[in-house]
Amino acid sequence: MKIKNSENYIKWQKSFERETKIDLSEASSETDEGIKIKPVYTKADIENLSFVDNDSLPGQLPYTRGPKASMYTNRPWTIRQYAGFSTAEESNEFYKKNLKSGQKGLSVAFDLPTHRGYDSDDDLVMGDVGKAGVAIDTVEDMKILFNDIPLDEMSVSMTMNGAVLPVLSSFVVAGEEQNVNKNLLSGTIQNDILKEFMVRNTYIYPPDPSMKIVADIIEFTSKEMPKFNSISISGYHMQEAGADNVLELAYTLADGMEYVRAALSKGLDIDDFAPRLSFFFAIGTDFFMEIAKLRAARTLWYKIMKDFGAKDERSMILRTHCQTSGVSLTEKDPYNNIIRTSYEALSAILGGTQSLHTNSFDEAIALPTDESARIARNTQLILQNETGVTNTIDPLAGSYFIESLTDELSKKAWEIIEEIESLGGMTKAVKAGVPKLKIEESATKKQAKVDSGSRVVVGVNKFKNPKEPKVDVRVIDNNRVREDQIKKINDIKASRDQKAVDESLAKLVAAAKEDSNLLACSIDAIKNRATVGEVSKALEQVYGRHFATSLSVSGVYGKHFEGNKDYMNVAKKVNTFEEENGRRPRVLIVKMGQDGHDRGAKIVATSFADMGFDVDMGPLFQSPKDVAKDAIENDVHAIGVSTLAAGHKTLVPELMKSLKKIDPNSKIVVFVGGVIPEQDYDFLYENNISAIFGPGSNIIESAETVIDLISDKIHKNN
Amino acid sequence: MQLVEKIVKGERAAIAKAITLVESSRENDKKESRRLISELLNKPGKSIRIGFSGPPGVGKSTFIESFGRYLVEKNYKLGILAIDPSSQITGGSILGDKTRMIEISKNPNTFIRSTPSRGSLGGISLGTREASIILDAAGYDFIFIETVGVGQSETMATNLVDIFSLIVGPGSGDELQGIKKGITEYADIFIVNKNDGDLKSEASKTASDYKSAISYYKKSSDVADKEVLLVSAIEQTGMEKVIETIQNIVSQNKKNKNFDERRAKQFTYWIEEEVREIIQFSIQNKIKEDGSISKFSQRVLDGEIQMFDAIEAITQNLQNK
Ligand code: B12
Ligand SMILES: Nc1nc2c(ncn2[C@@H]2O[C@H](COP(=O)(O)OP(=O)(O)O)[C@@H](O)[C@H]2O)c(=O)[nH]1
Ligand SMILES: [Mg+2]
Repeated sequence: MKIKNSENYIKWQKSFERETKIDLSEASSETDEGIKIKPVYTKADIENLSFVDNDSLPGQLPYTRGPKASMYTNRPWTIRQYAGFSTAEESNEFYKKNLKSGQKGLSVAFDLPTHRGYDSDDDLVMGDVGKAGVAIDTVEDMKILFNDIPLDEMSVSMTMNGAVLPVLSSFVVAGEEQNVNKNLLSGTIQNDILKEFMVRNTYIYPPDPSMKIVADIIEFTSKEMPKFNSISISGYHMQEAGADNVLELAYTLADGMEYVRAALSKGLDIDDFAPRLSFFFAIGTDFFMEIAKLRAARTLWYKIMKDFGAKDERSMILRTHCQTSGVSLTEKDPYNNIIRTSYEALSAILGGTQSLHTNSFDEAIALPTDESARIARNTQLILQNETGVTNTIDPLAGSYFIESLTDELSKKAWEIIEEIESLGGMTKAVKAGVPKLKIEESATKKQAKVDSGSRVVVGVNKFKNPKEPKVDVRVIDNNRVREDQIKKINDIKASRDQKAVDESLAKLVAAAKEDSNLLACSIDAIKNRATVGEVSKALEQVYGRHFATSLSVSGVYGKHFEGNKDYMNVAKKVNTFEEENGRRPRVLIVKMGQDGHDRGAKIVATSFADMGFDVDMGPLFQSPKDVAKDAIENDVHAIGVSTLAAGHKTLVPELMKSLKKIDPNSKIVVFVGGVIPEQDYDFLYENNISAIFGPGSNIIESAETVIDLISDKIHKNN
Repeated sequence: MQLVEKIVKGERAAIAKAITLVESSRENDKKESRRLISELLNKPGKSIRIGFSGPPGVGKSTFIESFGRYLVEKNYKLGILAIDPSSQITGGSILGDKTRMIEISKNPNTFIRSTPSRGSLGGISLGTREASIILDAAGYDFIFIETVGVGQSETMATNLVDIFSLIVGPGSGDELQGIKKGITEYADIFIVNKNDGDLKSEASKTASDYKSAISYYKKSSDVADKEVLLVSAIEQTGMEKVIETIQNIVSQNKKNKNFDERRAKQFTYWIEEEVREIIQFSIQNKIKEDGSISKFSQRVLDGEIQMFDAIEAITQNLQNK
């Protein structure tokens, strides 16, 4: 206060107001989090902070300044690029090349069938094998994946949650068969199921048994795998799904608390497992906010763990991996993405991350090519080697702005955490669907800001490139991968000791029924060459498969466009349509196959409904056949397929066939939205797709196109 | 009419188009719809129509999925009409009921249609009755109608269904005080859902609240007794009891003629409704053409004439047309 009223401050305020012609009290900008960012911060802003201690040092409580005393001055962060595609053979080649070029840790991306516990030969996954990650059906695949990569030296991170038991088991057995005992394995398993129910959608079992599996893994690894992180508590996916930074921070830490309780309920001592809990955050384009978020996360986790009664200082230190934001990257003018990713990477480093993934510029088009992956990796190599950012620890400490922002974020997140705790914790909240809905609301707001132009995205809604560059894409022939995988599965099934497999699966089922630790049994089954799908199905017998029910936000998009001309124009068209046709335009929006990216589909659905459409929302994981039945029974005018995980070339033609099969005269207009490389447009048009809406599409414009296409079709038929 | 044959044969696309027709607000469609329905009424099927009402979120859709799974396993054919509330502001809607009917929607023996309520009263949308006639002619054994029609149980029960069931959640017994009359009068079955996990004891308590509420009702030999049932849609428990109860009520009501009487009453009511609608429509047109309302109201505003005299003059005018 003293400082604010100082003579100098008053003088500055006057000059500011003269230059800007704006009253200082009106000059703040508001972030997505609802935080007011002032034009200037002073010493007054860092007095009386609630969470931040201005005198703390790196590696000292409350750890705001970093988990280690020396940070990057001793060893820079780990360059850990997330990758995986096609077969284990091809991914293994890719990993080895990357390691030669300066990457330090591995991070495995599995394909969607593996995530969801289906073998490659399952009918349900026809379009998804090897497409968005590497296909792993048995331990033999896992061994191939790490061929010539010594597992006692290489730290391996695995993004696996739903099918965590068979996949972690395969990793352990692969190690064993490389002569590396499990107690030497280092790395991380994601094993964070709560955020799957919220945003990532690769769950298999219902929430309660899923939490038991998480706890089993924490228990087992804390006893048998001392160098392995038992969980990676992830906010990253929340931000990518649309959460603002406060939601990301609060929900992640609240998830963490829930996992701590789950582990404690196993009778473990907190200090026996807490040092092996790790975290994962997204780093978006809000440069300072992201820095503050990492500092706030460490500060709050310290408080949380102290309150849990942790004694070991390592239990109270939050260590994290970060990934730059994929959703901030655009399909349009894609080389801009290299620039965005660089700033985000710098933000992560200034925030003090322990490891980092930087995205490739073709993020919104397809999986990275060798070339785009090289540029992404070099972004970090240049930061480490050329910029000097590793020389000083937490260089922004003491900045009035950063310290005050860190504290404000902490306060806001803490309020949400307390709210969730008072409702009985995150498992309960997740079951009620509240966090998911809040994230969708936040995502819808962001979309409205971009579509209305109040948020600029360079190359998308402003400063467009008149000559869009053509870029090469990585093409994966999923039919070939699927055939290869099926052959490998059949060979293994023919040569394994079937009796041993059956017995070990029966033991696993028994263990699930009597509630004993499942990981040990799963390791046995995998060792006997049971497949990932067989282990998952065995547990499904006991637990059932979870189908999510989902709620929808309403009115959030429309609220942004009150009085907007383009928006009103579409709403008017809808009303005219209703008068002429006796009902509103009716659109079924669907997700097919194992693709769980539902952000776009949900946003488009709620926005279309706001504009007056009747929108049928299909559940996740529908087969083309089920979609056709739904569409015809509800006599919809159009089907909008939202597809992001590259299954479109298999699933879309399949849908067209199914429609014709039920109704040879079907007049339903079909269009496709999502991640579709331009190279595939002609293929889709040849399959009678009427329009394609790629990433960055303006929803109001899309709605207008859709209603025009429907009207055209009706007129043609009359 | 070709459409009729296709419906009777059970062709999915034809049934769907027919429902669109009967739901349409376009005048031409209404005429065609009447023709279609009168033909279909000559080809009655054997369906039992059951209404499921209850406040949003009690688990109606989930219950229908769970109970429906049980029925299709027994080879029954199931038609479902789910009515979703439309947004008040824009008139658009998100029809999400099917995300809770995942398993049964895959089954070839089901037909599931969601319909936006379009702000109509009673939680029943335009054309629901006609849609159920179409499904009946198409050979569905059961027709389920899901509505959020809380407080409109009367319309639902007297208009549309053979059995009206109210789905309620644990803890809802407290609300019984205020709304006891309407509900207890019109519902045939009370289904207390979510009888699982932590909610079990609360659910039993709610069930006994309802039981004591209906105990005030005089038992009569003409009508089957009202029943209170406990189920968990999620754990699929209590389903045998539901079908048993439904079958009991049907056979008892059939025996004592109540079943047919109810349908006859609904028929009379329907005719009345249609007549009313036609008159209302023609009056509306007259009002539009006549234009005397705006003329007279201006005169009222200008102080030339008293308001009630104006009203009388306008009505006289319209009636004489
Ligand atoms: C957000 C995101 C996620 C989130 C998803 C959160 C959620 N609940 O949706 C998280 C982090 C969980 C995630 C996970 C994964 N992801 Co991802 N993800 C993305 C990302 C960065 C953005 C997608 C997005 O939501 N954009 C915002 C929305 C609003 O845009 P949109 O969906 O494109 O919709 C717009 C238009 O396309 C169009 N539209 C879309 N649908 C429809 C429908 C209709 C009717 C209409 C009119 C219009 C329309 O209009 C919308 C508005 O503009 C993309 C890359 C990118 N930048 O596109 C990768 C991407 C889709 N992911 C990818 C992968 C591989 C995965 C994983 C499979 C990784 C793995 N192996 O584990 C997982 C598994 C997820 C799963 N269960 O399927 C790949 C897919 C590769 C491919 N296609 O070849 C991509 C392309 C990234 C990449 N290049 O590697 N992901
Ligand atoms: N615990 C429990 N929850 C249920 C049950 N049935 C439905 N639910 C939940 O209640 C919510 C609303 O269900 P829904 O069927 O959409 O309700 P509707 O609006 O009445 O159709 C969903 O989250 C369901 O998972 C049940 O039997 N037990
Ligand atoms: Mg419902």
